[in-house]
Amino acid sequence: MLWVILLVPVLCAVPSGLVAWRRAIGWLGVASASIVLAVGIVLAVNVVRGHAAVGYGGVLRADALSAFMVIVIGVIALLATLQGVRYLEAEIAAGRCSPRHASLYAVLIQGFLATMLLAVLAANLGVMWVAIEATTIVTTFLVGHRNTRGSLEASWKYIVICSVGIALAFLGTVLVYLAAQHVAGQGAGALDWTSLVARSHHLDPGVMRLAFALIVLGFGTKVGLAPMHSWLPDAHSQAPAPVSALMSGVLLTVAFYAILRFKVIADGALGPQFARTLLVIVGLLSLVVAASLLLSQRDYKRMLAYHSVEHMGLIALGAAAGSTLAIAAVLLHILGHGIAKGVLFLASGEILLVEGTSEIKDVPALLSRRPVLGGIFAFGLVALLGFPPFSLFVSELNMLRAEFRVGLGWAAGLSLICMAVIFGAVMSHGREMLFGPKGTDTPAVTPALVAVPLIAGLAACAFIGVSVWPLGSLLRAAAHVVAL
Amino acid sequence: MHVVGVAGVAALQVATIAVGGLVLVGLMRKVRARVEGRVGAPIVQPLRDVRKLLRKERLRPQFSTWIFPLAPVVLVATVCVAALMTPLITSRPALGAGSDLFVVVYLLLLGSAMIALAGLDTGTAFGGMGSSRALTIGALAEPALLVTILALSISAHSSNFPAIIRATLADPGVIVSPARLFALAALLIVIVAESGRLPVDNPATHLELTMIHEAMILEYSGPDLALVTLGEAMRLALLLGVFVNLMLPWGIASSTSIARVALGTLVLCAKVATVAGALSFVEVFIAKLRLFRLPELLAGAFVLALLGAVSGVVAK
Amino acid sequence: MNHSAFTSVLGLGCGVIVLCAVVTLWRRSLRAIVRALAVQGVALALVAMTLGLHGHDRVLEVVAVLVLLAKGVVVPSLITRVVRHDVASRETQPLVNVPASLVAAGVLIFLAFAASRSVTALASNATGRLIPYGLAAMLIGFFALATRRKAVSQIVGLLLVDNGIALVAFLATAGVPLIVELGASLDVLLIVVVLQVLATQMRLRLGSFDLDQLAELHD
Repeated sequence: MLWVILLVPVLCAVPSGLVAWRRAIGWLGVASASIVLAVGIVLAVNVVRGHAAVGYGGVLRADALSAFMVIVIGVIALLATLQGVRYLEAEIAAGRCSPRHASLYAVLIQGFLATMLLAVLAANLGVMWVAIEATTIVTTFLVGHRNTRGSLEASWKYIVICSVGIALAFLGTVLVYLAAQHVAGQGAGALDWTSLVARSHHLDPGVMRLAFALIVLGFGTKVGLAPMHSWLPDAHSQAPAPVSALMSGVLLTVAFYAILRFKVIADGALGPQFARTLLVIVGLLSLVVAASLLLSQRDYKRMLAYHSVEHMGLIALGAAAGSTLAIAAVLLHILGHGIAKGVLFLASGEILLVEGTSEIKDVPALLSRRPVLGGIFAFGLVALLGFPPFSLFVSELNMLRAEFRVGLGWAAGLSLICMAVIFGAVMSHGREMLFGPKGTDTPAVTPALVAVPLIAGLAACAFIGVSVWPLGSLLRAAAHVVAL
Repeated sequence: MHVVGVAGVAALQVATIAVGGLVLVGLMRKVRARVEGRVGAPIVQPLRDVRKLLRKERLRPQFSTWIFPLAPVVLVATVCVAALMTPLITSRPALGAGSDLFVVVYLLLLGSAMIALAGLDTGTAFGGMGSSRALTIGALAEPALLVTILALSISAHSSNFPAIIRATLADPGVIVSPARLFALAALLIVIVAESGRLPVDNPATHLELTMIHEAMILEYSGPDLALVTLGEAMRLALLLGVFVNLMLPWGIASSTSIARVALGTLVLCAKVATVAGALSFVEVFIAKLRLFRLPELLAGAFVLALLGAVSGVVAK
Repeated sequence: MNHSAFTSVLGLGCGVIVLCAVVTLWRRSLRAIVRALAVQGVALALVAMTLGLHGHDRVLEVVAVLVLLAKGVVVPSLITRVVRHDVASRETQPLVNVPASLVAAGVLIFLAFAASRSVTALASNATGRLIPYGLAAMLIGFFALATRRKAVSQIVGLLLVDNGIALVAFLATAGVPLIVELGASLDVLLIVVVLQVLATQMRLRLGSFDLDQLAELHD
């Protein structure tokens, strides 16, 4: 069944590539995302009941963690593809994009989905690396889709910096392979994750230290952890809104998923302290960088991108704690952040579309001028800042609790300070955007196609925040895969 | 008999370097002329030039001191001593006990330092300019030279020159080892820099602003100039001899028997002539580098030498 | 293939790879830099082929041919196509000047040898001792990536990093599993294609390959 998940986006890409854009192709993309989500839910149910699915001769494997990530990918892909229809129609109507170019976008989005799914479903660390590198290549064209000077610069920076990161991650993988060969023998089987975890106590510590450091540096570049984050604001602000939503909401966390997989092996070979130290350092650094740079942002999309850096830093700190509670909170945070950030980016895409500018000072009084859109944006910001009832409140609280329990209280305190600074910065920027002199125009109406999915996304985020019920056992099972 | 044999071989070595050096300069000019499509002067022309100069009048600049006439003598003297130390024809040179690569190289540098001082001593603008440029090149080439010698000494565990040659003869595989190849490449660049050949300095230029070496010796005439010409030629021959013997040491005489010595002389002349001819051939196709680009070339030589040293350490 | 010839050829190949990396810092002409990259690709293929022949590893021999085609022929020709349009075609003012870059390259070579102690200890045979060469090439590639102003030079730096890591992979583990190797080669090719497309866009839009022109996005 696993190959179904991978095949669906590929199959949906084919007609998009053959014909020029029409609305049906957009809906085809939505259908593919929904099928992925549905299969992900089925997979999760199966896994929680105890049958881990294996496919393709051991190359693909779905355990609880993979199933969870598939659900995350599916949810945010659904939101993004729904908005994608609107985005492309508007671009073609405005003459900024030709139908051929639009169908290229559709093909690339499906390719993006397929490579991300391969990354989370791979059983072999080498295949996982190949998939993540493939995401970089696919997304470069998506980042540059708008064909402006800014997007050209953003995609150049993106591919150069992320390729360097991926190359470092490759070196880390090679070193893990070297250590594994002494334990498991030659061949592709040596990089199989499950068998590596089983034998992790026998792996050479010196090599594993170097390897894990390279993995954190390399995949951390794709996660957007400081100091390798410099591509993030540019890429996420210049890309089309649905692409930003997918990248900020999902791709960053898929790269972090890769770090988590390696962390399990490193913890087995080196003990938890080494990975913990590394992740605390990059996590805190990301928080500090995000806090210091958020205050001076003038562009709301860049603001959201830096906010992603902050959340990736929080996730890194949570993973550093490493206990079951911490990892479960991290995974919940991945889902909640993905949904909320996705909704925000999509809303800001709509704002950019109707207002024509991405500067904060040029879009005042959104709540009065465009009530529905402004309301969605406001609630999205509220969700991201960690207010109840949204799920980010629950996940951040539990991450902090876990960090205190493990002895990382000082790091938790520092992160709280940074979060307070960020809170202030985002509130002030948000206030500038949402409130202001009303003006005499009647409030504009936001199309239902735009508003309904976003409101549904925020509602889902709130629902999960109030009761973790549908995901509780899945989170527990997934956390057990990674936790200490 | 033994002492006479060693002394005889030593004298032969110096004489070969002296006469052979001048012939070498003539050969390089001839090769260059032929490639450029000219007939060129005869190969023995430098010998005739030296003989002619010995008969000419000696002039000295007005405010020069005792350094001015002393420098050519020191140049020739240091080159002769270095020639006595270097295993060129025989692998047991006369002063072989103290024959260290460092010593040989620094003797040669002593000679050129004296000439640079003499250039300053003339008190003219061109002399000063040429000297300052030459000393700059020397300073830039020195790190490369030091690391090259280090790289060459690593495989033989000593910088004693005959020891290096013996080690190379014992293990021929070391010739194509990356350590040796990189070190020799760096050495070649440094030799080109030190002996003032293209692309560092054009020995045939007459434009004052492009002269480096020629500007230093502009004021010499008569026997002084003869000594300088001889010294320069001997230095070039010696440096190239060092280079070829590090690259391909076969043919070196290991005893003082006449046959071996004769063979050694012939082989040395052949090797040096080949390398010099190749150098001259390549020179036709390259242009002189601007002075500001010289640090790049010599820094590159330094990194090459460093690579050689590092490879040598790894290979052990 | 007897052992000493094996180690000599390997040593020579690794030395040439690092030498080509140094040459990309040394020369200014973009065409010379791309030629150095091509030579490096050939040397990498030679190393892989030698390892394959010595260890009777068919997979590695196939990979060597793949590397030769991809990194020795296709990638340099793709980049040359980009360079052909660049009139100036020289890296005239890098952020760090050439002699300083070369000295930095020397320091990086030392660093590489110092940092790989644990790895060479684990793979302690003739091939293992050559691993620092790969790390040195990688570090020099990073340096080139960070200090060059031309788009093409940055691409070459990225490819140097890739080649260095590939050399480490060959020496340490006799290559990675075939599927990963195929993926990696394909990715390198695609990255170069993407970069070529972007560089062409840059030339069309900005008129030159100078990365200084791309300085709009900042905080």
